[in-house]
Amino acid sequence: MAYIVAIVCSIVVALVLRLPLLPSKPYRYSFDVSALYPTPIIAIGILSIFLVLNYTFMYNGLVLAAVIGVLSALFVKYLFDFVFPKPLDENAGEDMNE
Amino acid sequence: MNEVIGIIIAAILCWLNFVIVDTYFGLPEQSGVRGARIIGKDVEKRGGDIAGGFFQGNILCSPDASAGTLMASIGYMLLGIPGGIIAAFLVFIGNRLCADPGYAGTTGCLTATAIIFLTSFIGLTPEMFIVGMVIAIFTIMGIDQAKVSVVLGKIAKKFNRHARE
Repeated sequence: MAYIVAIVCSIVVALVLRLPLLPSKPYRYSFDVSALYPTPIIAIGILSIFLVLNYTFMYNGLVLAAVIGVLSALFVKYLFDFVFPKPLDENAGEDMNE
Repeated sequence: MNEVIGIIIAAILCWLNFVIVDTYFGLPEQSGVRGARIIGKDVEKRGGDIAGGFFQGNILCSPDASAGTLMASIGYMLLGIPGGIIAAFLVFIGNRLCADPGYAGTTGCLTATAIIFLTSFIGLTPEMFIVGMVIAIFTIMGIDQAKVSVVLGKIAKKFNRHARE
């Protein structure tokens, strides 16, 4: 249950912060962040670390889930490119006709 | 369930899981990094298929659905379903460190967690999936790279993900 709250919360806050819903095209090779990926992955990953450590704060972890959802959306919006920079040479794998 | 039968079933499920997820997310289509391209060209030179070679190179060079399935089994064994989700998170960090967008790895991790959860009702344990995944990777990388790459190339063609040349 807390997982659903974390996923929904992170996606909604990410959309409020004007992240695009889907990554830019081409979808499967894009390094751009978006609301559907990777925001919810980060949110549920950190939430399950808290749950495994038996730290659930109030209301069976629902408040914790909401807080982590908001924080992970903020992280993806403002800090993500600083922590995980995009690869420098963007065409490294694409020039196949050499 | 008998352990040997369980391991065989788990190996087949793992193989299908990571080959389908990796192929869908375009591993055979292009080499993400230079090392993957060198492996692909080398496999092609030895009589293999270029798409299968890129597939093997990409598996080797960054954590994709293969590593995701293995990490999910280990996480599930240690911590249950939250362990599988933590594994997806860790695989995502590893992907970004390896200059890989990370779609295949995280998706493979989550689908593997779901598969392990569903098959736990018929008596398959996460330990069987760890052994099965090692066997599955061995069939891709260890026995005969050139011949397996032809099979992988055929699967890639079926998914419309063959290398663009």
